[in-house]
Formats: sequence, C-alpha cells, structure tokens
Amino acid sequence: MITFSLNGDSVSFKGDPNTPLLWVIRDDFKLKGSKFGCGAGLCGACTMHLDGAAIKTCVLPVAAAANKKVTTIEGLGNPEALHPLQAAWVKHNVPQCGYCQSGQIMAAAALIADKPDASSDDIDQAMSGNICRCGCYPRIKAAIASVAGNSQSYDATAVEATS
Amino acid sequence: MSGQSLSRRHFLKTSGMVGGGIVVAVALPGCAFNGPHPIEVTDAGFIPNAFLQIAPDNKITFYCPSDEMGQGIRTGLATIIGEELDVDPANMLVQAAGSHEDYNNPEFRVQGTGGSNAVRVFYQPLRQVGADTRALLLNAAALDLGIPSEQLLTDDGFIVAGDRRYPYGDFVDTASSLEMPVATSLKAPSNFQYIGADAPRVDALAKATGTASFGIDTDLPGMVYAVVVRPPVAGSKALKFDDSAARIAPGVLDIVAVSSGIAVVAERYWQAYQAAKKITVDWEKRPLSSVTSTQVRQDLSAALEANDDTESSHVGDPEKAFAEADRILETDYYAPFLAHAPMEPLNATLRITENGADLWTGVQFVGAAQGVLERLTGLPRGDIKIHNQFLGGGFGRRATLSHIVEVAEIAMSIDKPVQLLWSREDDLRHGFYRPAAMMKIKAAANNEGRITAWQARRSGANITAQTMKNALPGVLPSLPTGLLNGLVGAMDYVFDNWAVDASSVEGLHETYSLPSYRVSHASVDHGLPTTFWRSVGHSYTSFAVESMMDELAEARQIDPVALRLKNLEDKPRMKNVVAQAGRLMAAMTVPENHHLGFAAHSSFGTDVAQIAQVSVTDGNIRVHKVTCVVDCGLAVNPDIVRAQLEGAVMFALTATLYGQIDLDDGAVVQSNFHNYPILRMNESPAVDVVIINSQTPPTGIGEPGVPPLAPAVANAVYRATGQRLRDLPLKLA
Ligand code: FES
Ligand code: FES
Repeated sequence: MITFSLNGDSVSFKGDPNTPLLWVIRDDFKLKGSKFGCGAGLCGACTMHLDGAAIKTCVLPVAAAANKKVTTIEGLGNPEALHPLQAAWVKHNVPQCGYCQSGQIMAAAALIADKPDASSDDIDQAMSGNICRCGCYPRIKAAIASVAGNSQSYDATAVEATS
Repeated sequence: MSGQSLSRRHFLKTSGMVGGGIVVAVALPGCAFNGPHPIEVTDAGFIPNAFLQIAPDNKITFYCPSDEMGQGIRTGLATIIGEELDVDPANMLVQAAGSHEDYNNPEFRVQGTGGSNAVRVFYQPLRQVGADTRALLLNAAALDLGIPSEQLLTDDGFIVAGDRRYPYGDFVDTASSLEMPVATSLKAPSNFQYIGADAPRVDALAKATGTASFGIDTDLPGMVYAVVVRPPVAGSKALKFDDSAARIAPGVLDIVAVSSGIAVVAERYWQAYQAAKKITVDWEKRPLSSVTSTQVRQDLSAALEANDDTESSHVGDPEKAFAEADRILETDYYAPFLAHAPMEPLNATLRITENGADLWTGVQFVGAAQGVLERLTGLPRGDIKIHNQFLGGGFGRRATLSHIVEVAEIAMSIDKPVQLLWSREDDLRHGFYRPAAMMKIKAAANNEGRITAWQARRSGANITAQTMKNALPGVLPSLPTGLLNGLVGAMDYVFDNWAVDASSVEGLHETYSLPSYRVSHASVDHGLPTTFWRSVGHSYTSFAVESMMDELAEARQIDPVALRLKNLEDKPRMKNVVAQAGRLMAAMTVPENHHLGFAAHSSFGTDVAQIAQVSVTDGNIRVHKVTCVVDCGLAVNPDIVRAQLEGAVMFALTATLYGQIDLDDGAVVQSNFHNYPILRMNESPAVDVVIINSQTPPTGIGEPGVPPLAPAVANAVYRATGQRLRDLPLKLA
C-alpha cells in the first residue's frame, strides 16, 4: 500500500505500484483536472507538483510518490480562491481548447514559486516541456510574466501553502 | 435558411409545467423527427426555444449549438444571442446543446461544427431568436406591470421601467402564455454593446481551474475501460490473434474483436493498456501494405506528368495566353501527409440500457455521431443522447466517427458502461490525415507584374470522398446497409471520374483576379484515410500559390507586395488587406540578420495577409515574429479573433517546420511527440494582429490564419538564404 498526501489529505493506493501517478489520481481518486496527452513525458498535460517540483506524472510510478506531497490543479486553487496564475490566465483570456492548461499552470506555478521574478528566458525554459496544440504560447507567456512582474504584491508562499 | 425561418421554427406551440417553472416545447412543423425535448430540463425555467432557458431566479442559460474546441464559439454565439436578448454573455450560463435537429448547422443541415462557419451561419438566426425572445419578455412585462411595452427598456437581463429594474425571471409565467413575436427588428450595429467588444471567454475560468469537463473526464458508476489494438496498416483485418496472455492479465474483463481491431476491456485504463501489449495479431496484407512515402511522392508526380487530370474550373483561354507570354514559370510544390494531433486523445464513453444509449465524448459532428449509434445499436434516434463535452482540440479530427463506431461495438458486446481511450500512438498512427499534395503551377506575368495566364494542377487523395465515406453511415442512419455500401463505394468513382473534389483544389486560384486560368486535379489515393485538417485544401494550395507569387515578382524584378496588388483588381477587400500589410512591412525595421516574407490568402470568406520575420542560423529556421492583417467582417469578439490568429500561426508553423507523416510498408512511422514534434514555447514567435474595422457580417476565423504562414516563412527563407524551398516541411540544403 502506498500512502501520500494529495492536496493536503493523506490518501493510500492498494493497486499496482507501477501504475503511473496520473492514472491513480484520475481513475482512483477521481480528480480529472490533470490530463493525459502523450503518456511518454513529452507534452506536460499531466504535470503535478511532487513536493513542490513540477513532475510529468504519466511516466511516474505511483510508488515514487510514497510519503510525498502531491499537488494537482485542484489543490492549487479553485474558482472561488484562484491562484494568482489562474487569475492571470483568466485576465489574459489564455485558454483555447483548454486541455493543456492544467499542466501549463502547474509548470508555471512551480517556476514562480522557485523564481518569483522569472525572466522571459526563464519562462521559455521552464515551459518548454509543455505543448499547447492550440498555440496559446503568447498568452501563457504574458500571463506568467504578469505574475512574475508583480512579484512584490504576489506572495510566492501561496503556492507552497497548498502543496 | 434565413434567420427568420429558423426563429419561427422554434416558436412555442404547447406548454406544460416542469418542476416549479414553465417549459415550452419546441414545435417542429414539417419535421419527421419527434424526439424528446432537446434540453435536459433539470432546473425549473422558461424555455422559449431550443436555445434559451430563463429561470424564475433570472438564471439565463444559452444552449450553444456549435461545439467548443478552443475556437471560442460558446463565447461568440453567446455574445450574438445576448446582444439582442440584452444579456451580457458573462452573466449567462453557456452549455453545450443536446443532440437534436433544432441545433442543426443551417448550412450543413446536420448538427456539426466545421468549415469556420459557425459565427457566419448563426449570426443572423441567433440574433433573431434573441430579439424575438426579448420582445416576448417585454410584452409579458407590459401586461404584468400595466405599463405599455414602448415605455419599457431592457438592460442586461432586466426590464427597466423608469428607475425600477425587474429581472426577466419575474415575467416567465406570463411570457409562457403569450405568442412569441416574429421577425422582431434587430438592433442597428451602431447600437451594439457586446458584439464588437473585447470580452472574457465564458469558459476561461473553468479551463484555468481544471474544472472544464472533457470527454476523457467522464466517470460513470460501474464504468470499465477499453483500449483497441489496431493494425499497423490502415484498414487491415485481423486474420488470427492470440490473447491468452492478455486474458489473464490483472484487471482484464474481456477481449472482443471489433471491426477496427481487438478491444481489451479492463477495470482500469492502465490495466487495459498493459494487457493490450500482450496480444499478438496476424494482420492481412492490403495494397497499402507496400506503400512508402517516397512512392507516394513519385506517384503524385507521375500523375501530373501523365497529363490526364480532370478540370475543376477555368476562365478565359490560358493556353492562348501562355502562347503569347514572353516568360513562363512552371514549378512543383509538395506537401506531405499530416496528423491533427489534438491535445486530448480520442475517447468516448457509452452506456446502453433498455431505455436507450448515452454517449459522452467530444465530436464536431453530433448529428452524425447520433446517426451512427442509431445504425449500430438499432435504437430509435430519440433514445440516443449525445452529451458533447468540451473538445480538447478538433482541427477536423473530431469530425470523424471511428471512435464512436469502436465504442459502440465494444459496449454492445459487454454489459457495462465503457470508456474507450486512444493513446497518442493510436492517434498519430491510426488517424485520418491531411492528404499529401503535389502541385504544379504554371504562370506568366507581364513586365508590369500583371498575371496573364495561370494553370494550377494538384494530384493526391480526394479529401471529401474519404470524409464522406466515414460520415455517411451516421448522416444517413436509416439507409439500408446494401445501399449504404453502394453509396460509399461510389464516392471514389464520383471523385475519380466525374467531379473534382472542391476541397482538394480550393485556394488554387481564388485569391487573385486572373484574366485566364485553368485548375485541374488528378486523383491518386493510396488508401491512407484522409480528412479535413484545419484549413483543408488551403493548407497546401496557399503554399504553392503564394510561393509562386514571390517567384513571379522576382522574375519580373517587382516588389512582391506590389505584384500582388496588381492582381487584386476586382478583390477590393483583399486588396485593402494586402495594402495595409504592405505598409506595415515597409515600415518594419529588423535586425540585420532577420528577413521578412509576405503571403496572403483568402479562405472561408476571410482575407488574411501575414509577414514573417525570420532568421536562419546554421541551417536552423527561426521565426521571430508574425504580423497578421485580417478582414473577417465584423469581429464579434476581437480578442478571440486575435487568439485564433495567434493559434493558427503556431499550428501552421509546426507544419511548416516539422510536420510530416511518413509511411513505411504502409504503416505510419511517427508515433508520439518525439518524432512528430509540435512547436514549443521557446520556439514560438510573437504574433501581432491587425483587424480591419468592418461592419459587414462576420466570416470565418478558426482556419483562415493557417494558409498564409508557410509561404510567408518560405519567402523569408528565400531572402535569407537564396534557397527557394518548394517542399514542406521546409528543410535547408
Ligand atoms: S501525458 Fe504526461 S507528459 Fe504527456
Ligand atoms: S489550449 Fe488547447 S492544447 Fe493548449
């Protein structure tokens, strides 16, 4: 049995420890915000935080999450209490189809927690593992930059507080 | 169909109580179909027509007839109906419509989304529905308040009488007893307050919080999961298979043969996916089984050399004009097969009970999905409900029905709700592709740059024939199988021998005013399934036409923008777009090693010009910035127009730099994003969009940003390197 923290709650999983974390979260714990895009660590749709770091969970066996803190998009913020990045996403009208956006936001949140003043190059680097087939890149970048530029009023610990 | 007639079809004829509020059923005079009410009525509320529900608490719901796949249509159509209803789209609840012919696309005559037509075809009808409904509410308020309706105003969901405001919801009881006004006059565009203004997408919050529900997110009690083992070569059947190891794998519930392959059903997706790898199959050989990409290209060239193509259209006498020309250019351009690769892999969840069937998925073709289930399950159409979710990308891929057929076959052989999920490998290897295209353009321009003769020939698979073969079973659900098979078989014959598929040659001449031209087509189909891919034929024809325009300009030593302007005499809208873009380009200052390329193309009623700013370092093409000028008529939500052009640039740049589906022994070589790369943020250009201010009715915007990009980049690469690249994707020697 594998026990880990999921958005602050302690949970355990009894199935095959090789099952990728993504499927455990989606199919066993029924949190559907994290998406499946490639199953090979190539697109970032499945990005969650593992002890605060952005991780592609379609290739991470659930066993690797044992006794760690897993944060999904549902744990980052919600419509009533948005993470600053989520608010920026809405303000910049970022999403098109929206399917990649949970992963994009989780990757961006880890970056901002790590580097509250992330530069344009930092953003390009940190986000290069996340594909958006709809091509929302200019807006994703603008949304992240708006939060990074506002690092004074932005409390970086807010990210960690929920993870 | 005029707006008025659509509106009239939805007048209430009967009314009844549901819950605490009033529901008015939709009357469908002259329609054979007598299905259930198209709206699942879960809340009390007044339903004056198929599109609107107004609850006593003033919750106003709009049931959107077009499928949201990222193009912003829920926001766009909510804005259109909200303008005349006088409700801010931000204050409406916008939901996907159910499956019902009231939601048919007025142009397709079936419920579906594609061809960049939704805003164009629903613009007038939904305004009329909004205006008539507002007039009805005003009439009801006049009765209830004892104030003549001329003295009442409306504002964002409220009736305004002097300084008092009453929610629309206050008047739904009375409204439900009144006749719906007809042909209410519409607002003058100068009075618009929502149409034409930037506004937030109605789905942005859900998509930023992971709460938007896609087909893949469906979770039903007792649901099981299925994956399908498919043949390496499209269409081949399993001769025999060994599933003994898979059957005893953890969680496996059943293994069933379906028409596309072998389905593994398990308690969990991951178990089904693992077990599927243990199945060994002998697949039949098909003619496609020996085909390689090299051969496809050779066959497409040979077809044009053979000179027996079929004419699609002509004007004047191009042969005579060529004979009189002092200089003729003739050049081949090639574009490969491409996959759509929507971010959400195909999936469908189906539950069949004695009461009917319920399908949760994301399709662009709800009417045909319902039809194909009617055909396969034998259930009455009215008992089949399609719960269309947000589509995780479409681009044409979700206008096909293969996943619906598969899930139906699986669900019918097991007695549980089932979710079918494709892997990315399935998606790239077993798709319906943008067909490869060889194009031979022969052109003559006089020394002033005026084109005197133009001949454009294309060889490759027919897009429409293949798409129709896939769609017909769903579009004509009650046609007997024998007749259906005959019709499906006739598609190739029709497009090989009788008619040129318009989609396959679209864009080969239309952008310019040509005094003489001939467009023709040679059908060459190797059997790889093909379908519409964002911008369809334009996705390759623009590359050939717009590269040739620059080649002509160079041959005549004329500025490429000036040459284009010379050939737009009777195309005033595009002429203005090109002129505006030309002025922007002339004013641009770029670093010394950056080069600009220009292209323009008309598609889906919209005119787009693009300027690509490009550098080439060590053989690597880098696009730094793309400036777009677009005339799409009145921009209903300019910010979404900008977003569609930004997205189209990225989508097209992926195809320009990387996109290539190869065949080896008939099997698709590419399998995931490592060998079918998609543009990433660190490779993405800045995009500037200039929208021409227009009051003419809106035209398409989802696709028209794609076609000009590849030739704009190729034209810039030529300036940077002197290499004229005539094959996509662009690769420097
Ligand atoms: S689904 Fe995990 S990286 Fe693509
Ligand atoms: S919004 Fe569609 S893939 Fe990113």
